[in-house]
Amino acid sequence: MKKILSIILVAVLAISLSNCKGFLDKEPTDAVVAENALATLEDAGVAVNGMYTLLKYYTVFGNYMIQMGDMRGDLLVASEGTYITYSYDYDPSQNSYFTLWRNFYSTITRANAIIKNIDALEVPASEQDIKDDYLGQAYAVRAFCYFNLARLYGRPYKFDSGASLGAVLITEPVSPSEARLPRNTVAETYTQIEKDLATALPLLSKSKNTGHFNYWAAKFLQAKVALYKGDNETAYSAAKEVINNGPYSLIPRDKYLASWAEVGNDESIFEGLVNLQSAIDGDNGFGGSFYYSLWFGYDNTGASVVPTKHWRDLFTLTPNDIRINWIDYDDPVTGFKHTGEYWLRKFIGNTGFTAFLNNPRYMRLAEAYLIAAEAGMNSGKGDAASLLLAVAQRADPDVTSIAATMENIEIQRQKELIGEGDRFFDLMRRNGTYTKNDPHNPFSTALKWSDDRVMLPISSDERIIYPELQQNPGYKN
Amino acid sequence: MKKVLLFALAALISTMALAQSRVTGTVTAKEDGGPIPGVNVMVKGTRTGSFTDENGKYSINAPANATLVFTSVGYTTLEVPVNGRSVVNAVMASDAIGLDETIVVAYGTAKKGSYSGSAAVVKQDAIKDVPVVSFEQALAGKAAGVQAMSYSGQPGSEVEISVRGYGSFNASNKPLYVIDGVPATSGDWSTGNISTSAMNFLNPSDIESITILKDAAAASLYGSRASNGVVLITTKKGKEGDLVSTFKASVGVSYFSYKKNLEMVSDAQNEALQRMSFRNYAEANPSVWSSYGSVDAYVDNRIAKYYPAFDYDKYIYKDWEKALFQRGISQNYEYSISGGSDKGKIYASVAYTDQHGVVKIDYLQRFTATVNGEAKLNNWFKLGGIMQYSWQYQDGHQDGWSSKDNPMFIWKAVLIDRWPYAYKETGELFEERFSTRFNTINPVGQYKHQINDAKQNRTILKGWAEVAFTDYLKLKTTLSSDWLYVHDKFGWLYGHPNFTAYGTGYASDKHRNINKVVSSTTLNFDKMFDVHHVSAMVGWEAEREKFNGLRLGKTDFSYLGATESVMGTTFDEGYAWSHEEGLLSLFGSASYDFDSKYYVTGTFRRDGSSRLAPDTRWGNFWSVSGTWRFSKENFLEYPWMNDGKIRGSYGTSGTLPSDLFGYMSVYDYWQYGDEGASYPGNIANTDLTWEKNKNWNIGIDATIFDRYNFTVEYFNRKTTDLLLDASVASTTGFSSTLMNKGSMVNRGWEITANVDIIKEKDMELSVGANWSRVHNEVLKLSTDDEAINSGWFWWKKGYNFYQFYTREYLGVNKSGETINGVKPGWPMYAEGSFYEKGEIVDQDVTLRDGTVVKEGSAMPYDGYNYAPARRQNASSMVIHGKRAMPKYFGGFNANFRWKDLSFSMAWTYKVGHYLCNTTQDEVANDGYRTFGQPIMKTQLNPWTTDNPDSDVPMRIYDNNQGGYYNSSRMIVRGDFARLKNMTVSYNLPKNFVQKLSLRGARVYLSGTNLITISKAECEPELQSDGVYNYGMPALRTWSFGVEVTF
Repeated sequence: MKKILSIILVAVLAISLSNCKGFLDKEPTDAVVAENALATLEDAGVAVNGMYTLLKYYTVFGNYMIQMGDMRGDLLVASEGTYITYSYDYDPSQNSYFTLWRNFYSTITRANAIIKNIDALEVPASEQDIKDDYLGQAYAVRAFCYFNLARLYGRPYKFDSGASLGAVLITEPVSPSEARLPRNTVAETYTQIEKDLATALPLLSKSKNTGHFNYWAAKFLQAKVALYKGDNETAYSAAKEVINNGPYSLIPRDKYLASWAEVGNDESIFEGLVNLQSAIDGDNGFGGSFYYSLWFGYDNTGASVVPTKHWRDLFTLTPNDIRINWIDYDDPVTGFKHTGEYWLRKFIGNTGFTAFLNNPRYMRLAEAYLIAAEAGMNSGKGDAASLLLAVAQRADPDVTSIAATMENIEIQRQKELIGEGDRFFDLMRRNGTYTKNDPHNPFSTALKWSDDRVMLPISSDERIIYPELQQNPGYKN
Repeated sequence: MKKVLLFALAALISTMALAQSRVTGTVTAKEDGGPIPGVNVMVKGTRTGSFTDENGKYSINAPANATLVFTSVGYTTLEVPVNGRSVVNAVMASDAIGLDETIVVAYGTAKKGSYSGSAAVVKQDAIKDVPVVSFEQALAGKAAGVQAMSYSGQPGSEVEISVRGYGSFNASNKPLYVIDGVPATSGDWSTGNISTSAMNFLNPSDIESITILKDAAAASLYGSRASNGVVLITTKKGKEGDLVSTFKASVGVSYFSYKKNLEMVSDAQNEALQRMSFRNYAEANPSVWSSYGSVDAYVDNRIAKYYPAFDYDKYIYKDWEKALFQRGISQNYEYSISGGSDKGKIYASVAYTDQHGVVKIDYLQRFTATVNGEAKLNNWFKLGGIMQYSWQYQDGHQDGWSSKDNPMFIWKAVLIDRWPYAYKETGELFEERFSTRFNTINPVGQYKHQINDAKQNRTILKGWAEVAFTDYLKLKTTLSSDWLYVHDKFGWLYGHPNFTAYGTGYASDKHRNINKVVSSTTLNFDKMFDVHHVSAMVGWEAEREKFNGLRLGKTDFSYLGATESVMGTTFDEGYAWSHEEGLLSLFGSASYDFDSKYYVTGTFRRDGSSRLAPDTRWGNFWSVSGTWRFSKENFLEYPWMNDGKIRGSYGTSGTLPSDLFGYMSVYDYWQYGDEGASYPGNIANTDLTWEKNKNWNIGIDATIFDRYNFTVEYFNRKTTDLLLDASVASTTGFSSTLMNKGSMVNRGWEITANVDIIKEKDMELSVGANWSRVHNEVLKLSTDDEAINSGWFWWKKGYNFYQFYTREYLGVNKSGETINGVKPGWPMYAEGSFYEKGEIVDQDVTLRDGTVVKEGSAMPYDGYNYAPARRQNASSMVIHGKRAMPKYFGGFNANFRWKDLSFSMAWTYKVGHYLCNTTQDEVANDGYRTFGQPIMKTQLNPWTTDNPDSDVPMRIYDNNQGGYYNSSRMIVRGDFARLKNMTVSYNLPKNFVQKLSLRGARVYLSGTNLITISKAECEPELQSDGVYNYGMPALRTWSFGVEVTF
């Protein structure tokens, strides 16, 4: 008996002990252990796509950035109620708009992970250009994020030559303790942007790559950054390079309205890619997307955003401007929903999807023309007027000539770029004047670039755990 | 080992060699002189034993100089020397104190009288006749320190059990469930459409006892999962003796228990209130009525639109309560057999439950089967197995605000009397949208095109073998498989008259499989050396859990009535995923007691978990405890003191992260355009470890005057290294990471008292009560200053885990003047700015006691500004003294028996806590939204210039000041006492029963949730966070049953 017992005992113990090895080493199936996620060039390509997923989200360009530009400016207004972006009523205790900051840093983190790890990938010479392009995209995405952080949280560069606080410059993956750095100045942020773009440009591919940074998108960003900085020569030459050498062309007037449904159309330099599964707000309900708030033609959409009277009035004297068709009047008696409102019908939905599902456009050739025109005008280039005319005439055949004045450029920028989120930044970078007297929400206050409200607040919750992060002036906590 | 075995063998042989003679006798009870069947009669120091028969008679072979030991549950163990007699009769006294009662504890059993841990035992008798699906629902108020809270009154819904407060932020606060010695899957594994519990698989009648382990001495043996207590469930085993069959059948009827749950105004009152909303709105905004000519015309127009009059010519109207709800009929049938001999024992049962809910679409069906058998091959080898199987089908709804189909929500927040039920002419249901507030249409029609069901299959198989090397050294090994399969189905079928989503149908299936395999082996030693009693145990356990899930959903159907996604055309979602985890453990315990007077016990466990990094995954947990039975000391021996002891324990336990791979750095995968995308998914934390619990417990147990029995305990449970989704700097790219940060304490008192008031042969009366007080406090988060706003609550150093945090409501502005922008009659809220002590305030600050700190002065202490403000200017703040956790809670029970008639009742109560009635934003919104919704009675008689003392704010349409917004106005006292159960049972007379050739027959009437005493305007017995959100309230059930044994 005891022999049998001993054998059983030993066997049981032996079996159990031999099974112990690996018994506690498990891995997830719905995610990949980081060490294995960047093992091949293909993996790196997937990770490169990962840098772009948040930018189109409703908390970034899917909605909030549009509000920061056009709602804070004078192009869009709520049809009922008030957006705090309209009234500059934001304060540090509200966390919703601080997701802008968070999402840009999440994107920077993704870019930093690629920049740090891609070197370790050994690829054959034939694939070196792909690897270079991936690395270039990571630098360019990082520059794009820092540019947006600087214009959201810092003062306009030209106000004080970048002396105010901008972003926190994080250029490699950091642990929670390493991450708690104080903010750099706007000037330092711009320097980082320029450096990243300089690194990116020679690496990037010049082919069209819809939804991704390519050489031309980086060049466009270089132009825009230079314009914000007041470096008109760089802005002019970079924008001109995109116009002259890039694979893009202005879409003719008759095709222009419909082209907004096209993914990667002829004049789109950089846009976010959405589809039903990777929708703008992630829940397939589009509830957070900006386009949703513009769209009244569907039951219970909560549509609440309309173009201002100021913007509509820009078309008073130009009835043949094709962009006047973006104004969709819903008559109280004969209209579809009897709202009596003028709705914005610029974004008509990606082909095959509902109107809520639009690729947010980050960079378009039309804007490159306007940047070149403005920088050219400022620096006395002869073709400033013809660059402006290209955009104006494409929309309105009645315009046969146009003077390169700031006023005309401003009108074209507003007409052309509504709903793309640039207006407030445009006003502030040149300390422009505007009024907010829309009948929906007459509101006397307009900001000057010296006002503290130009800069968004840093979240007070964030500052509890990250006290090194300085608050912007004018905000409590 | 060799020596031990030889010794045992020698002892056995020498015993056999001694002269044996037949001894017989009768065992009777001291109290009534009646025979006691089933008494175990043993020859002391041997393995020779026998049992008394139905007439109390026994027969045994024993040497003339032997001593017989008589033991029986409920009686004090008796030793009688044979002294050469051939007839030895014994008279046993009932064990009022229960010292010899065996209770199930971690990895074994213990004598209640000598146990030094803190454990509450709930016996079969306390739950057997309560008409519940799962035993968990019958635990409320039954044990000190234990709260059992239902998530919903839907049949079969999950019950939240909390043992001695709450110790975790982001890890589980639920206890570990152990069934027949093996850790079991518990909780709600469904995908959330219908609340359910994995514990429903156990038919309550198959449970012998439930032990809830509360302190470290009791629970530490379960190591890294024991922090929140352990619920040990012991199922029934076969009893030695004839095969006894029991058949039990019951039928019950249920309806809402708490009449005051969201009482609504009448139709006429509703119209009057709606009119008032529009009138006040119009009077304040002349532009809105100018085109109508007059305020009256405007109000009439609005009422015609939003609260249209009855149109009896066109429509049929119905009482919506009757349309949606019914008296739910439930039926329950069980058959079991139990019996065996010293060679083998068996218990087997089958049971069927069928419950129609109070909601017409709610239904539960359950079938359970169990077999528990053991065989004794010879003196040293025993083998046994347990098979438990259950199949459950639930048809129901999802609770919560605006949930797809929650009838409570639709009834209370949407449906009004004037909403047509059907067209008069055709009799067809009215299926248009009536209220513009929600997409809801006539739910009766909606339910016809809806599938919402959940199936749950569970099978537990266990096999065990026990080898007795000697009578004091035993090895037991157990292998167990616990397989849970959940299948949820939801569909808004083609034809569902829903206005927005899935107009052409939606159907989805969600499958989950959870398989847990546990292997454990223990070696037990237990021996008396004169007055020294030594016992020890060592063991190991390996546990592996595999999970896999599958979801598939499609939209766009073409066939009316198609229910399966195979018929759909558009793919909505479809994916599968899986994961695995492992836990390896070594454990042991040792106890020593001297003369049943002094007891010391130590336990130890070492756990290794796959949820932690290789370097940190092993941890040690231990406890020490001791008991001093002072009543055994000569100098404290008093005749009135039956028993008295003091016990104390200290030890550690843990809680593992809920996240299976929280320590790893991973990449998540998603989509960008039509391509794949990946990105870092978390911040790795390879230092991640379990939460550490340090518990101490001191208790006194005493029995005096043969009838007073009480226990007083004080405990302190401090949890450190709390698993916290700690906020991290945004520049990491993440908002939080799982860290071990912070600490929390739960400490308190528990008192349990029982009195046997009458203990006569024909009459017994006993009453008992338990009372618990738990003080919970967050000691620290990542930093002293960090505060986390979690829903309605605020986690911060110095505050309760369930401290309410929202706008502070200050009542109606009755001053007649506008105060800080708050017009007369409007609601006032505290401004809510927080100032630290010494801070120079930037505005006049009103302290809570009303004193004002002038602008520019220093704040006298940390505090908020309570100055009245408009809703828009009011910040969230800590709502002083209001929390969802009760100050004290407990139960009260009484048992009465007169001859064959018995009566019992059990109450539960909770005092000193607050509920958050979030339904208010719809049904008590001060007229903000006037879309023809029901209105709560509390909204009657609002403030007007003629009614300036009203506590209900002025009623104005579209006024964004009032009740619609979250504030402490929704937070109401939750104190309640509830008669959870009352049972009257009658044992049919013996001679009558015997004529029918039965062993026994019993009829009973049992009711649950019969009386509720509370001031709350919503269901008061809620889950721990106290948030009421249109959940199904508790149901009152009356159940009549018959039980026969034969």
